[in-house]
Amino acid sequence: MNTIELKNITKTFGSLVAVNDLSLNVPKGSIYGFIGPNGSGKTTTIRMIMKILYADSGSILLNGKQHESLRLNNIGYLPEERGLYKKMKVKDVLMFHGELNNGTDLPAKIEKWLSHFDLSKFSNKKVETLSKGMTQKLQFIATILNDPEIIILDEPFGGLDPVNAELLKDAILDMQKRGATIIFSTHDMSMAEKMCDQIFMIYKGEKVLDGTLQSIQDQFGTDTIRLQTEMGAEALEGIEGIERINNYGKQQELRLSQNIDHQKILSLIMKKTAVLKFEITKPSLNDIFIRIASPERKEAENE
Amino acid sequence: MNKIWILFKREYKAAVKTKSFIISLLLVPIMMGGSLAVIFIMEDNQDTTDTHIVILDHSGLVEGMLTEKAKLRNKNEIFNPETGEQFLPAYILEFISPDLNNSFDQKLELSEKIRTKDVHAFIEIGKDVLHPGEWTEDDFIRYYSEHTFMDNARDWVSNSINNFLREQRGEALNLDKDVSKELMAWIRIEGMGLVDIDKKTGEQQEAEKTSEIQSFLVPYIILMLMFMLTMMSAIPLLTAVMEEKSERIAEVLLGSITPFQFMMGKVLGGIGISLTTASVYIGGGIAIANFTGSASIIPYDILPWFFVYVIFFVLMVGSGMAALGATCNDNKDAQSVQFPAMLPVILPMFLIMPIIQNPSGTLATTLSLIPPFTPTIMMVRMATPVTIPLWQPILGLVLVILFTLFTIWVGARVFRTAILIQGQKPSMKNLIKYAFRG
Repeated sequence: MNTIELKNITKTFGSLVAVNDLSLNVPKGSIYGFIGPNGSGKTTTIRMIMKILYADSGSILLNGKQHESLRLNNIGYLPEERGLYKKMKVKDVLMFHGELNNGTDLPAKIEKWLSHFDLSKFSNKKVETLSKGMTQKLQFIATILNDPEIIILDEPFGGLDPVNAELLKDAILDMQKRGATIIFSTHDMSMAEKMCDQIFMIYKGEKVLDGTLQSIQDQFGTDTIRLQTEMGAEALEGIEGIERINNYGKQQELRLSQNIDHQKILSLIMKKTAVLKFEITKPSLNDIFIRIASPERKEAENE
Repeated sequence: MNKIWILFKREYKAAVKTKSFIISLLLVPIMMGGSLAVIFIMEDNQDTTDTHIVILDHSGLVEGMLTEKAKLRNKNEIFNPETGEQFLPAYILEFISPDLNNSFDQKLELSEKIRTKDVHAFIEIGKDVLHPGEWTEDDFIRYYSEHTFMDNARDWVSNSINNFLREQRGEALNLDKDVSKELMAWIRIEGMGLVDIDKKTGEQQEAEKTSEIQSFLVPYIILMLMFMLTMMSAIPLLTAVMEEKSERIAEVLLGSITPFQFMMGKVLGGIGISLTTASVYIGGGIAIANFTGSASIIPYDILPWFFVYVIFFVLMVGSGMAALGATCNDNKDAQSVQFPAMLPVILPMFLIMPIIQNPSGTLATTLSLIPPFTPTIMMVRMATPVTIPLWQPILGLVLVILFTLFTIWVGARVFRTAILIQGQKPSMKNLIKYAFRG
C-alpha cells in the first residue's frame, strides 16, 4: 500500500521546468529520503504533495485518493523556510498550530513535547526570544503535535547541533514506529543513509535515483576502496586505474576505473608505502551524489 | 469555516492586545476631546492686550464717530458684567492725516509698525465713501494687516463705519431717525428642519432648528470614523501579509489551511477590530452626547447602516490589501502599492465639502453609487439633515456586496499565487497575471 503516489508530475515556472514527468511511490510506514542539489526540485515536489503548488500535469494520490479538499489535517509539514509568529508565546503558537490541524488534547501534548525537547521553561516566553535551534525544535513540535499519519520534513536537521539532531532523529523514528509515513529532504547524506528505508534523488527536475540504499549502491558496483597508508595521499600519485581520489587527510576514498583489479592496485600501492587499511566497498551515498551532481559532470553535460 | 475562525481569533487577539491598538483606541477620543477643550479654553482666555489701529481717513467723516464708539465699547463691552474681568481687547484708535504726496512711504512705515507688532492694523478710508458709485474710485475702505481673515476688529470697524454712513445718507434725505433705523433693520434667517408626523403615534412633530453642527459636524464625524476604522483594520493587512510572506509564516500556515482560509481569517480579524473600535467610539460618543445634553444630534436611525457598511468596507478594502500584501516582498514594494490602494479611503476626504453642501446633488449621488466610495460617501450623505431616498442606500449596499464579492474573488486568486512567489515586483502586469491566469 502506497501512502503517497505521484504519477507523471510536471511543474514549470515560466520557461524553467522545475519537475519533469516525475513518478514516485512512498510505501506506508516508510521513511523516504529526498536528496538532490539546491534548486533541483525537491521543495517544489514537496510543495506539490502539500497542494501548496499545483502540478501542471499528472496526479498526486494520498492513501489512493486525490486530495483536493482533504486539506491536510493528517499531514504534518515542516517547510524548509521556518516561520512562526514571533510575538506569540511558545505555548500559544503551538496551541494555534494544533487547533489549525484539528488537534485534540492539545495542552497535554504540548507539555509533553516541550519537555521532550527541553523547552518547558520557555513555554511562556515569546517566540522571538528563542535561539535559532530552539525555534527549529519548536517548529518541529508544531509539525508533529497531532500525531499526523504523514510527516513531510524539508531539511529538518539544518542548523541543529549534534545533540538536538539526535533528539530530532529519535522523534522521527518514534513517529515511524507509531505507523507514520515520513518524507524528509536533506543534504546530510550520512543521516539519509542511516535513517531512510528508501532514497529518491532528483537532479534538474528529473528522478535520477529511487530505491533502497542497497539497490542504489548495487547500481554503482564495488568500485570503491577505502585506504589508509603511512604516506597518505602522496602514495597514490602516478598509479594508473584510479579514476578519482577523495582525500580525507588520514584516509582516502578511491574510485577505480572500470575493469581494474583491486589486487593490482593494492600491490602497486604496497610497493610505495605500508598499507594500514584496505577496504573494498560500495560507494557511499555522498559519493554517488557527487558523481551525479558534481561540476565535472555538469561540464560533461554541457559539452 | 472552523479554521477561518481559529485564524480570526489569533488575528483579533494579536491586534487587540498590542499597545498600539490600545493607544490609538484611546488617543483619538483624547485628541478630539482635547481639541474641543482647547477651543473652549481659548474662548475663555482671549488675548486682552490692547489692539492698536491706525486710521488714514481721506473722507474726514468718521473720526468723531469711531472715537466715540471705541470709547463706549472699551467701557461697556469688553468686561464680564458679573465678574468685572476683561475678556476682550480694548481698541485704541489713532487717526493720522494721509500723506498725499508720499502715500506709499506712509503705508510702508505703517506696515513696518505692524510687522514689529506696534500696530495691529491700519485702515484707509476713501474720500467718497459717503456717496459710492461708478463715477469714483475713491469709495473704498481698506484694512491692512498681517491676517485680514477672521479678524474681529475688522468686522467691528466695517459694521461701525457702514452703519454710520447709512445714518448719514438717511439724514441727508431728511429721514427720521426711527425711520432710518427701521430701514436698516436686518433679520437673520433661522435654519429649520422639516415638520413630520410620527408614523407610530400620529403625533405632529414640529421642525427643529438645524445648526451648523448638525449639518456639518455629524457627517464629518461619520467620515472620520470610516477613515479611522479602515486605517486601523484594513490598511495594516498589507504590511501584515507582506511580513508573513517574507518571514515564511505563510508557507508554514499553508501546510494546514488553504490560501482562501488564510486571507479570510485575516480580513475577518480586521472586521473584528473595526467593529470593536466602532463600538467603543460610538458608545463613547453617545455617552458624551447624553452627558452634555446634546443627545439629539446622534443620528440613531443611520447607525445600523453604518455598521453594515463598515463590515463590507473593511471586507472590500481588507481583501484587496491582503492580496496586494501577498505580492510584496519588502517595505519598498508595500509603499509603492499602498497609496493607490488607499484611494477609496482617502478620496472622500477631499470631496467632503461639496458632498455636505449638496448631499442630493449629481456628484454626491453618483459617487455614492460607485462601490469603492459607496460606504463612506453614502454614510456622509445619510448623516446630513437632507433625506436620501431609501432606494439609494439599498442599491448602494447591493452594489457594494457585489463588488466586495468580486474583490474577494480576485484577491483570493492573487493571494494564492503571489504568497509563495518571492522576488517578483507587484506590478500591474503581474497582478493581472495572478488574478486571471492564477
